[in-house]
Amino acid sequence: MNRIQAKGFFAETAQLVGAVVRAMRITFITFFRKPVTVHYPDKPRAYPDRYRGLLALVYEPDTGEEACIGCRLCEFVCPPAVIKVEMQKGEKRNYAKTFTLELYACEFCELCVQVCPTDAIVMMKSFDMATADRREMLLDKDRLHAIGQQFPVSWATGNKLRDMQAPPKKAPGEKHGGGEA
Amino acid sequence: MSADTAIPVVRTLDYTGAERLTMNMGPQHPSAHGVFRAILTLEGEKVVAVDAVIGYLHRCHEKLAETLTYAQYPSIASKTDYVAAMTSELAYVMAAEEIAKIEVPKRAEYLRVLVAELQRIASHCLWLGTWCMDMGGALGGGATIFLYCIRERELVLDLFESLTGARLLYGFHQVGGVRYDVPEGWMEQCRQTIDLIDKRIDEYQEMLEGNAFFLMRTQGVGVISKELALDVGVCGPLLRGSGVAFDLRRVAPYSSYQDFDFRVPVETAGDCFARYRVRMAEFRESIKIVRQIIAGLPEGPISSRPGLKSVAQVRVPKGEAYTRVEGARGEVGCYLIGDGTAKPYRMKWRGASFSNLAVLPHIIPGHAVADVVAIMGSVDPVFGEVDR
Amino acid sequence: MTTSSIAVTGLIAGGAVLGALLGLVAYVTLLERKFAARMQSRIGPYRVGPHGLLQPIADGVKLLLKEDIIPTDADKRIFTLAPLVFVVPCLMIFATIPFAPGLGVADLNIGVLFFMAVSSMEIVGLFMAGWSSNNKYALISAMRAVNQIISYDLPFIMAALVPVLLTGSLKLSEIAHAQEGLWFIFYPVLGQLGFIAFIVASVAAENRVPFDILEAESELVAGFRVEYSGMKFAIIQLGEYAHVLGTSFLGSLLFLGAWAGPGPWWLGPGWFLLKALLIFLLITWVRWSFIRIRVDQILQISWKLLLPLTVLLVMATAVTVVMRSGTGE
Repeated sequence: MNRIQAKGFFAETAQLVGAVVRAMRITFITFFRKPVTVHYPDKPRAYPDRYRGLLALVYEPDTGEEACIGCRLCEFVCPPAVIKVEMQKGEKRNYAKTFTLELYACEFCELCVQVCPTDAIVMMKSFDMATADRREMLLDKDRLHAIGQQFPVSWATGNKLRDMQAPPKKAPGEKHGGGEA
Repeated sequence: MSADTAIPVVRTLDYTGAERLTMNMGPQHPSAHGVFRAILTLEGEKVVAVDAVIGYLHRCHEKLAETLTYAQYPSIASKTDYVAAMTSELAYVMAAEEIAKIEVPKRAEYLRVLVAELQRIASHCLWLGTWCMDMGGALGGGATIFLYCIRERELVLDLFESLTGARLLYGFHQVGGVRYDVPEGWMEQCRQTIDLIDKRIDEYQEMLEGNAFFLMRTQGVGVISKELALDVGVCGPLLRGSGVAFDLRRVAPYSSYQDFDFRVPVETAGDCFARYRVRMAEFRESIKIVRQIIAGLPEGPISSRPGLKSVAQVRVPKGEAYTRVEGARGEVGCYLIGDGTAKPYRMKWRGASFSNLAVLPHIIPGHAVADVVAIMGSVDPVFGEVDR
Repeated sequence: MTTSSIAVTGLIAGGAVLGALLGLVAYVTLLERKFAARMQSRIGPYRVGPHGLLQPIADGVKLLLKEDIIPTDADKRIFTLAPLVFVVPCLMIFATIPFAPGLGVADLNIGVLFFMAVSSMEIVGLFMAGWSSNNKYALISAMRAVNQIISYDLPFIMAALVPVLLTGSLKLSEIAHAQEGLWFIFYPVLGQLGFIAFIVASVAAENRVPFDILEAESELVAGFRVEYSGMKFAIIQLGEYAHVLGTSFLGSLLFLGAWAGPGPWWLGPGWFLLKALLIFLLITWVRWSFIRIRVDQILQISWKLLLPLTVLLVMATAVTVVMRSGTGE
């Protein structure tokens, strides 16, 4: 592309005409390309496996019990502090008595999913929750479980993420760099 | 630019003196690139003085970093330069790693370079689209180029979505490495996307570079001389468009940039067109680097620290560090003072756009009102970085 | 024919043309949006009605229901009058256009002159709108508008004079008849250059991109129209699109042979409409391909390039006509 401005009247005019024709050619050939529009929501959109969508609580796959043990790790790690958990002690394991998540303030950063030891809190492969009232986005435990049943679950659960990030086991005596775990 | 610290009062039609008119551009304005207020003093169509008012997007990032741990803040760091989120996070985690002397595995370093260069491509796509839209109108030829550029940016964002799950604010980096590894088939998708973008950039250049309208609007407009650039302290494509061959990836290589073969584009004219040329060349160079990584990504772990299990997992000893990365807009720097706990004592961002905006009162006077948008677009500010 | 029957036929014809025109203008906006969308890899309006066909009606209803805001310090009378003063000339230009041989509202002897004179009256309305809004952006835009439209009306007239000279009459139906053998656009050199000059000058005189600095959405946020809302805004939009359409009709009449086309005579208006829409789409194609240029560059192009070129073109046409009539056909 000759970017030097041509000198002389006829050369300049020729360059101008050439540029006009070239620019209009690009719009012309784009006219005949297929549009990139996806007719959402009539056509569903393919979400990738790791999509960070709505948050939900799930049940254990083998026992069917609630996976959440009320350990409150997600509450502590959440940067905007939208999770509030109360633990309820049980005989064999603990539960969460109440679990509220303010979805309107959630950053969708996936840190809560990352730290969960039992893969209880996960993200869904969908973000379909539009409401007219913000209070409907203050999710309590029942709603979180309901969302967990409603949409497909994203691949990324706590254990899978930690396994992906963990370095291979080093020989004993070798230290990792930096601070302690 | 004004000598006193009082906010200037915007008067209505004021014909005192040499027929000067004070006009307010922004903070709500289609081409303010965010929330930016420029108080222009006009004489007819010519701008005589510029008063830049910023701070409309201040969200107390630096104070926030003192209350969040090193595990929590990287996902917030993306919100400073939200258009090029990967490079913002990188500066913060590199600062923590430097104080704590944490080694980052090779694969993680290469992944960091990969996403940084892809992010540069996406950010420059947005820059080109919005700049042409400012110059060409939301209903007009500018919008056409805008939609083409956004179409390409969406492809890169799809790549990031497959990699991290998010499209704009990723939380990809963590202290010690990165959080996500590449999934199956991602490298192939990346290669195809890069090849397509390479062809499409040819189309944009064809639409713009020989175009007399574009040349008329950008050549000779907003000239930053080399001395002015060095005096005011601009960075990034503004500096390289004025003849200073300074790119942090070459001058102070971080995250294994020294392993890659790429050119640093430099232009000497210093006008908007030179900055455009620099950024278009940066497209090509980023594509080159991405291709090199696709050809050889080393195996290994993606983080030298175990996966995050609790909020106070990362502790950084006493010490301070200033790390800088070459973001899409220039030098993004993070100054961190660690005090042995899980939260920093102080964190300061050096925003690239903040320093770049300082040049506006020097180069805008003398131009017409229409050139103000062309110059602002070529400076490419993102106000998350400016106001933090 | 008695005066009253002329008046009645005139009223009926005028009413019919006006009605058809308003419908056409509404749907031409939809055509532009879908055409532009395809050039940008997207679909235009799609959901309102099948493939967006009811979109103009939805827009019209929306604008009717909007609140009519008049700024506090605006000059109320001029503010309210300005859209009318703008739109009436834009609609009046259709009075002289014959849509088929003998079918038109008023086929004046000075058709081209009337068209040019009336279409440059809209600038008064434009300036009234900008001045009375009590808004700096509107004022700057109005001042740019006066500058630009006046500068480009001259080459516009000169370019339109080329077919007039080749025909020897200002009457529009005669110009259309004179093209029965050869459309003026195919006339060697003079026809093509005249057509290009006509298109460029008309794009500039109508404030279309790349010459739409006076609206410049990204700088002046709609320019002289910025304070208008609701029906007044709709009227201004109507006037603008009517003006573009009118110039397209004039262009297809002057250069593309108006109603000439294969088929029976009653298909003539259909061909005329098709050619006018073709010119409209050409202007739209230009609009969506280029960025705009600064106002001083626009004026430079007009005074230093386009006006001398069109004057030379008119002189060359005159010389050709004299030589042609001197030596016989």
